[in-house]
Amino acid sequence: MSTTPPGGQRTLQKRRQAQSAKEKQTKQTPTSTRAAGHGGSSSSILKIYTDEANGLRVDPLVVLFLAVGFIFSVVALHVISKVTGKIF
Amino acid sequence: MAKFSYFITVRLIDVVKPFLPILPEVELPYEKIEFDDRVVYTIFSGLIYLFAQFPLAGIPKDLESNVKDPIYFLRGVFAAEPKTILEFGIFPVIASPLLLQLMAGLRIIKVNFKIQQDRELFQSLTKLFAIFQYIILSNVFIFSGYYGDSLTIAQIFLLNIQLVGAGIFVTLMCEVVDKGFGFTSGAMVINTAVIATNLVADTFGISQITIDTEGHQEPQGSLINLLQGVRAKHKTFVGAIVNAFNRDYLPNLTTTCVVVAIAMAIGYIQNIRIEVPVRSTRARGMNNVYPIRLLHVGSLSVLFSYVCLFYIHILGFILIQLIGKNNADSLICKVLGHYEIVNNILYVPTFPLSSLAPPKSLFGGILEQPISFIAYPLFIVITGIWFACNWQAISGQSARDIAKDFKDQGITLTGRREQNISKELNKIVPVASTTGAAILAAITVLGELLGLKGKAAGMVIGIAGGYSILEIVTLDYQQNGSGSNLGQVLSGQFAL
Amino acid sequence: MAGEKSENNQIEKLMDAPVEFFKDGKQFLSKCKKPTGSEYSKIIRAVGFGFIAVGVIGYAIKLIHIPIRYVIV
Repeated sequence: MSTTPPGGQRTLQKRRQAQSAKEKQTKQTPTSTRAAGHGGSSSSILKIYTDEANGLRVDPLVVLFLAVGFIFSVVALHVISKVTGKIF
Repeated sequence: MAKFSYFITVRLIDVVKPFLPILPEVELPYEKIEFDDRVVYTIFSGLIYLFAQFPLAGIPKDLESNVKDPIYFLRGVFAAEPKTILEFGIFPVIASPLLLQLMAGLRIIKVNFKIQQDRELFQSLTKLFAIFQYIILSNVFIFSGYYGDSLTIAQIFLLNIQLVGAGIFVTLMCEVVDKGFGFTSGAMVINTAVIATNLVADTFGISQITIDTEGHQEPQGSLINLLQGVRAKHKTFVGAIVNAFNRDYLPNLTTTCVVVAIAMAIGYIQNIRIEVPVRSTRARGMNNVYPIRLLHVGSLSVLFSYVCLFYIHILGFILIQLIGKNNADSLICKVLGHYEIVNNILYVPTFPLSSLAPPKSLFGGILEQPISFIAYPLFIVITGIWFACNWQAISGQSARDIAKDFKDQGITLTGRREQNISKELNKIVPVASTTGAAILAAITVLGELLGLKGKAAGMVIGIAGGYSILEIVTLDYQQNGSGSNLGQVLSGQFAL
Repeated sequence: MAGEKSENNQIEKLMDAPVEFFKDGKQFLSKCKKPTGSEYSKIIRAVGFGFIAVGVIGYAIKLIHIPIRYVIV
């Protein structure tokens, strides 16, 4: 049994709108950096980076390719050190 | 009163601001990523990490340094391989958010999570802290002589670049998976992948490793060792079997059995849960259960215990090696104990630092380090329980948050009034997480005390993480996997 | 006399905390639903299969490493 707030129909609508807007806003701001996922399974995983980027933006594919490139550069370093012998 | 307006409080997260332009960040996905793509991203991150276990360049080849591996029992947990570019594994990536989020939750750092900008700064701080730790750890190891005693400036520089560069890429790869391009969290994917690989390598590995000066070679895998040892010429039949079960310098069959037993125990525990009967207030007659798992906090409590252990041992290593030069007569070594070289690979701490390190093997340990049988379990269990207690209140899944979610979705507990949801959940959730943490810690300790050198803890975390990944993947597949090609291929093979 | 009693009380409280913890835990465990035999074997099969699959792939990569390492280093 909900009590009807005073002011008639229009204020009732406005109140409902305001309340739903506030609810939407509170839903978007979690109480911690780990906003809950679906089900009960998100407390046991460690999602570290979940928010919007703010620095030097990189595409994820670029990251993967750069990582492979880095590994190959280490390989190249090994080869160079072996070929030139005594530099390292 | 007016003076306070001149006083600018510098919060820790503001330190990050000058670094923002150079700190790389992965973009959030513009639209929802397909199931297949996410599988590919996840698998590739794991594979690239595995591929990157490449030996460091710049180390003198015949390395006979006196400083061996001081953290050998911590490597399993953090997917770290000695003398590779992934020397420290994903330790900084995990330690950084665990510590910072704990500190924020306990209000030691002032962060207001409701402000978008604060959240972003906090995330960048986490990343900066992780990279910072890579730098510090690399230099500690370099200057302690771990890579050789006399290194030229060029070598030091190169080693730094390799180690820190690898760290940066590991951080970025974890971020790719975290941001939604892959499943669960990158750190857990990498961890599970590495531990699975190590398990297979330690059981079925066929690469031969020379073990003693006579040039005899033994395979890395314990099963293969048994098979080979039985047919070897320089060992008797019984000797081969005893060796297969007991050898200390490479994995043996007892470790394999213990690891498998641990995996099965955790598989059992994974599914213990309290099923809270719920019903919907909006749709009539919808009776469901909401499970609260015993491993509500999951493997994070063990991870946290090991992060603490890692810090303590790194500090000990710095003090003993860098300052005391591992000289048994110096003051520091008299207080903290020095390191002894065992089997030419490991650096075993002696008393009193050894009280916080798992013993090398069960029987040797009881004779040599009796106190560590008490101190080490207590440490792991207590840190694990403390963490579980605080974490489940901080993360987004505490009793209050679940109650709020319930209210938003119009779900209540069967047979109870709506206002009491939070109280009812509060009776269940903390007990679940702390008990789960205690049980996991007990299993870890049991495994480690049997001389597993870090594999037990790694297995605990790997299986718990692996199960979380499996859950999330199947959940995602049920929700939007109908267009996935991979799913159609696999589901023809077995019904999960 | 009162000082001794309060000390004893404090020690008792300190000893009670882990005992209570165990009791709470046991109560909780008895209320829990434990996995049955068939569920358990299904889980073990799924997780074990996934684990070993990942392990085999990882070990294949390690095997690739060996010749590379031999050539380079």
